Amino acid sequence: MKTLLKTAILSSALALGAGFAGPAAAQDDSIYIPNLSYRTGPFAATGTPLMNGQRDYITLLNERDGGLNGVKLVYDECETGYNTEKGVECYEKTKANAVVTQPWSTGITLQVLPKSNVDEIPILAPGYGFSPMADGKVFQWAYNPPSSYWDGASMILNNLSDGNLDNLKGKKIALLHLDHPFGKEPIPLLEALAAKHGFTFLPIPVGLTEMQNQSAQWLQIRRERPDFVVMWGWGAMNAGAITEAVKTKYPMDQFVGVWWSGHDGDLKLVGEAGKGYRSISWSVPNSESPLMQDIKKHVVDAGKSLINQGEGEFDSVFYQRGLMISAILVEGIKEAQEQFDVRAPSPEQLRWGLENINLDEARLKELGAEGMLVPFKTSCADHTGHGGGWMLQWDGAKFVKASDLLMPDRTEIEPLEAAKAKEYADANAPWPINEECSM
Amino acid sequence: MDILNGILVKPFADMAAAPDFLLQVLWEGLVGGVLYALIALGFVLIYKSSRIFNFAQGIMVVFAALTLVGLYEKGLPAFIALPLTLVVMLVLAMTIERVVLRPLVNQPDIILFMATIGITLFLIGFGELIFGGENKVMITEQLMIPTGSFVFELFGGFVSIEQKDLTAVVGAVLLVAGLLVFLNKSKIGRAIRALGDDHQAALSVGISLSTIWVIVWFIAGVIALATGIVWGARAGVSFALEVIAFKALPVLMLGGLESVMGAIIGGLAIGILEKVFEIYWGQPLLGGNTEAWFAYMLALLVLLFRPQGLFGEKIIERV
Repeated sequence: MKTLLKTAILSSALALGAGFAGPAAAQDDSIYIPNLSYRTGPFAATGTPLMNGQRDYITLLNERDGGLNGVKLVYDECETGYNTEKGVECYEKTKANAVVTQPWSTGITLQVLPKSNVDEIPILAPGYGFSPMADGKVFQWAYNPPSSYWDGASMILNNLSDGNLDNLKGKKIALLHLDHPFGKEPIPLLEALAAKHGFTFLPIPVGLTEMQNQSAQWLQIRRERPDFVVMWGWGAMNAGAITEAVKTKYPMDQFVGVWWSGHDGDLKLVGEAGKGYRSISWSVPNSESPLMQDIKKHVVDAGKSLINQGEGEFDSVFYQRGLMISAILVEGIKEAQEQFDVRAPSPEQLRWGLENINLDEARLKELGAEGMLVPFKTSCADHTGHGGGWMLQWDGAKFVKASDLLMPDRTEIEPLEAAKAKEYADANAPWPINEECSM
Repeated sequence: MDILNGILVKPFADMAAAPDFLLQVLWEGLVGGVLYALIALGFVLIYKSSRIFNFAQGIMVVFAALTLVGLYEKGLPAFIALPLTLVVMLVLAMTIERVVLRPLVNQPDIILFMATIGITLFLIGFGELIFGGENKVMITEQLMIPTGSFVFELFGGFVSIEQKDLTAVVGAVLLVAGLLVFLNKSKIGRAIRALGDDHQAALSVGISLSTIWVIVWFIAGVIALATGIVWGARAGVSFALEVIAFKALPVLMLGGLESVMGAIIGGLAIGILEKVFEIYWGQPLLGGNTEAWFAYMLALLVLLFRPQGLFGEKIIERV
């Protein structure tokens, strides 16, 4: 009980401390990085390791290097519970001193997106958000590196069709998706590709209250017998779907998820029965890398991490992806510091930094993270970088890399991306376009 | 014409063409219905004895399941973790009665309802502080719940019945039967019903309000634990289980807030009908996910004709 009380008091003190962290950010000796996190609610199981990873990368830089180029990074979380309304509240609460916004849900990203031109704070949404945000001329303040959802859908289809989408002609592909802006994101691209390449596209929505009892959805899969099931699931939906797939005896090698549907914790529920399930991913865990050894030494072993070591979180895909997400942000800040010769860049300067990230293999090696993230490069016109991804496969106990680097078919995506970006700008007119960007 | 065919002819033709599939749909609906009925029962018991709509029932499911798995992970064998979880639920019931309910006796219903929202928020925070937010595996095998499946080859197809679903159905039937016997035949059961009918009259004949409340909240805790084990065995134990409480609301509207039988029949009816509607009408005609609203529409229809629900008490007030 004493330990519990101590923990409670410590948590309260930390929360109070975090509350006071914001104003300090206005000074030149620190950079305030808020994160609209969700460690509570129905999506906590998948959110927690990601947030832990983001937090630990910043802690590593502060502990090992004294910050970034001598400037302390102040990481702060505002709890949203993956709720869009709470997310917008958190955005408003943290924006005063923020150098960046990390909205952490496609729903929140869509709400914050129109405000970005007014508040002039960059939105960083690695691997999520609205896919046409890739168009940097239209979405000047929004970034979704290293791969967008449409990139992900394209890579999955390329892999399923052995590189030629015409091979899918006459086949049926089901999209099992969360009935939420995130889950609906790949639908426009998949519909367009189905019409062009002659396969049948079958969207199967899963409501929030049905996440853990998907028998109706899997009965539909049993009846329709799709050749492949692609999953755009999140939180408890992933575990529910994989459990039902095992129960329905759906072949695991025909079942592929997006990167948010590849969480070790979800697959551990079915263990050996989930063998063969694949998930596209722009990050790969490598616990032996120099970066991970540094994290272990300076953060985990030093007792500064919140990870659950007993459950193998350190080695998990999501924890190490969280580290990579912070690495992308820090790279943008570093670029801004060097370009503008400032210690603490302004949001506008960071915007330039995020448009000039060049995380190639050499730079990733320098960071000690070689092979842990797809190499990519952003520009003022390309806010995604389109670095591609690898297939990860569940071997019964963990995810392992199961393909070479896969790339999206940009010729298929670009016209739709341009059309949807224009549609968005027209619907939100007057919407400023970055005419200075000549790329 | 196509629409009429899709509504009136095709669904029945599909049912006749694949009777094995129809049986599977009915079985899945029955299992879903039993699970909904279990959640609804927790609400009904507390409402029946205290007129409190317990918003915390959903989080009690999570808390009970997490306690069981958490104790097991601490190294306790399942046969010790299970009774110890019941002790935790008893302590929780006593604490709620002493700290929350007793000071609010005689307050308007809405105050007590708000207090249960407070209990929910406390349990979310307290649960996450102790157990963390990660998805945990339910200790199904350790509790000797079979995990295989029976496959019956029928009508040229097959019907697959998960053994853990069958266990859930049998377990729920036994739990409900025990509860009905307890409520109708035992002295405490009669006291609970008496309190539900009239607090002051019950108090005047010496029934202790606080004791009965502790017992009722404890029984709701036991039901929460049973629900948590069954749902947790399907897709893991996490705070996402809390969401399933929303599935109980239309069951309560349909069956009536005070009726144990209403919760059971309402749960089964909604479970089976929503599944049949989703598969034969929702998915082909409406793009699916009709389970999100079908139960509410059904409850609304019933309320139009029976505002007290199918089995609720008709209250007549003379002004």
